[in-house]
Amino acid sequence: MIQDVVWSVSIILMGALALVFIWVATGASVAIANYGPVIDAAYRLRVWLFGIALIVLIGTNYKTVGELPYINTLPPLPAAAVQPVQVVGQQWMWTITPNTFKVGQTAEFQVTSKDVNHGFGLYDPEFRIVAEVQAMPGYTNVLRYQFTEPGTYQVLCLEYCGVAHHAMQAQIKVTDH
Amino acid sequence: MTIAATAGRTAINPRAAVLAYLAVSGIVLLLMMLLGLTMRLAQAQWIDVSPDFFYVVMTMHGAGMVGIAGLCSAAVMWHFVRRHVPVSTAVFLTNLVFFLIGAVLILGAGFIGGFGAAWTFLFPLPAHSGGLWSVNAAAAYLVGLIFIGVGFLLLHLDIARGILSVYGGLGAALGVKQAFGLAHGEEGPPPAVTASTMALIANILGILVGAAVLIISLVNLYVPSFTFNALAAKNLIYYFGHTFINVTIYMAVIAVYEILPIYAHRAWKTNWAFYLAWVLSTVFVLTVYTHHLLMDFAMPTWTLVAGQVISWLSGLPVLLVTAFGTLTVVYRSGLRWNPAAALVFLGVAGWAIGVIPAIADGTIAVNSVMHNTQWVPGHFHTYLLLGMVAMVLGFMTYLTNPQSRYGVAWLGYWLYLLGGVVFVLAFLSAGSASVPRRYAVHVAQWLPYDRIGSIGAACAIAGVLILIVRFFVGMRTAASAQDPSG
Ligand code: HEM
Ligand SMILES: [Cu+2]
Repeated sequence: MIQDVVWSVSIILMGALALVFIWVATGASVAIANYGPVIDAAYRLRVWLFGIALIVLIGTNYKTVGELPYINTLPPLPAAAVQPVQVVGQQWMWTITPNTFKVGQTAEFQVTSKDVNHGFGLYDPEFRIVAEVQAMPGYTNVLRYQFTEPGTYQVLCLEYCGVAHHAMQAQIKVTDH
Repeated sequence: MTIAATAGRTAINPRAAVLAYLAVSGIVLLLMMLLGLTMRLAQAQWIDVSPDFFYVVMTMHGAGMVGIAGLCSAAVMWHFVRRHVPVSTAVFLTNLVFFLIGAVLILGAGFIGGFGAAWTFLFPLPAHSGGLWSVNAAAAYLVGLIFIGVGFLLLHLDIARGILSVYGGLGAALGVKQAFGLAHGEEGPPPAVTASTMALIANILGILVGAAVLIISLVNLYVPSFTFNALAAKNLIYYFGHTFINVTIYMAVIAVYEILPIYAHRAWKTNWAFYLAWVLSTVFVLTVYTHHLLMDFAMPTWTLVAGQVISWLSGLPVLLVTAFGTLTVVYRSGLRWNPAAALVFLGVAGWAIGVIPAIADGTIAVNSVMHNTQWVPGHFHTYLLLGMVAMVLGFMTYLTNPQSRYGVAWLGYWLYLLGGVVFVLAFLSAGSASVPRRYAVHVAQWLPYDRIGSIGAACAIAGVLILIVRFFVGMRTAASAQDPSG
């Protein structure tokens, strides 16, 4: 899952950066009399770091901007290949029609709200988020998702919408062929 | 250029005014942290809190923390910028008064009126309480925010006046020429002036936008037929909210530029890269807010792609200039650590490290599965609690430096640091396990994160309590003292 990759990479980078701070902090008491050479060496190092950062930045953004979830950036599918789904959020319930699917089916959730902002959060049977989109009054946001796994999916509200926000849940059933 | 204290023009001792800010900040910070702990304990199911009260607490914690972050970092900024430009102590204190009036209105709205639409008051939620709070409670909250905003507007305008009188233009005070190699870096404005200029540009724009959406929300409360586009309102709110909270770090970091060199006996070298970083940060902080709307598919796609790319770019000045500069100043400098130096150093570490999970979530592909999970409070508590707050605690310790009681300060420091790390990691790992943010009630499988996070939070608060008590003990003598010089 993306989450696991992000967690691992973040923890490694955060830990590495923390180690750099700890290394500099613990070595601070030993003085180098001359600051000039330290500055010069640091500036040279910084040029390298800048270069590396730029490569990572361009590479990652190039890759990820090519895979956006927005419907206007996705290839159009023939009408027979998608199942349109009406999703309406309101304080504090979801109305989802239809709410049963088959594995392999591609759903296009047309998500809107009757009152305030809500968030359509799709949780897989292991209770991990696989997709989300905002439900905003006055707008219909289209989220495309292909079900790959059978089981009971949960829809949780992911935009704070008042006192029963945490209870605003619904279920989606996905069956084998 | 140094302008002697403005004491000649006003009866109020400016140093006492700064201490007054910090005293208010210390108390409010602690109280808001206890509200935060209340939420953690409630999610951990170690205490019983009804959802309606949880969401009031959440709203008060959010608004209170954002407001106090602004207040305490403004104290840092004002204290140091005053050395270079003339500013008015009366205006500085006016901001404090406006803040307190706003705080009373907001606390009343929450704890008396039951207002719980979250600090972001996302339109049109304030008007749709489901019977939990009245229109008047919502209005009190919004008016409270307007008061706080107006106070800051006055403060920034006064600093702008002072800066213009010395530097002639905001570009010159920001160091634009130096940034682009048109003038020598060493001759540029002092860091405190550059940072204050960035803060005022960003915050004045942000607050004006905020005022607009606050007024729209207020009118909508009383005249429901007056509606407004929800997506436009969300843009305005995040423009304001993102800018305001971000600027707090850029104000607080002045403490690092000023305090660390004193103890490290090294100057903070301001070269073109330093000024370029600040010029770019000014642009980024004002354009990056769309990363809060990545799941609003109705937004023009280019704005969201820009939000992602600018999120990544805005990490560069933080990491390569401020963090790198901090490390260079400290590296083998012979610095003998004391709590003030250690706190500002920690502040930079917390900020830099918090940038990493922030950038991750600013990536659309990641946001698709992490938006509005606890990853979000995870990353921002990293650079607010362990970044901005550490810088301010460092400043407080520096001003009230009773050298004889280092021992207890170190205890506070380590409790705060280690507890804080556990607390933020619990949020981040919960976020990657898809635990939503802003949930009063958690399911059984999420409780381990909440419990570990609660323990971390309690330790961190104990540490902060020690540091703040120590500040109050040293405060009386600090009012008449000079800043420590090493
Ligand atoms: C040890 C101290 C702290 C504790 C225990 C704490 C705890 C919490 C908790 C439990 C939440 C809600 C998490 C959720 O959505 O499930 C939260 C949200 C938040 N906290 Fe903190 N916090 C602390 C310090 C801070 C500081 C120092 C700041 C800023 C300067 C801050 C700013 C915020 C903000 C802006 C929110 C978002 C509120 C919302 O979602 O509406 N917190 N905090
Ligand atoms: Cu909700």
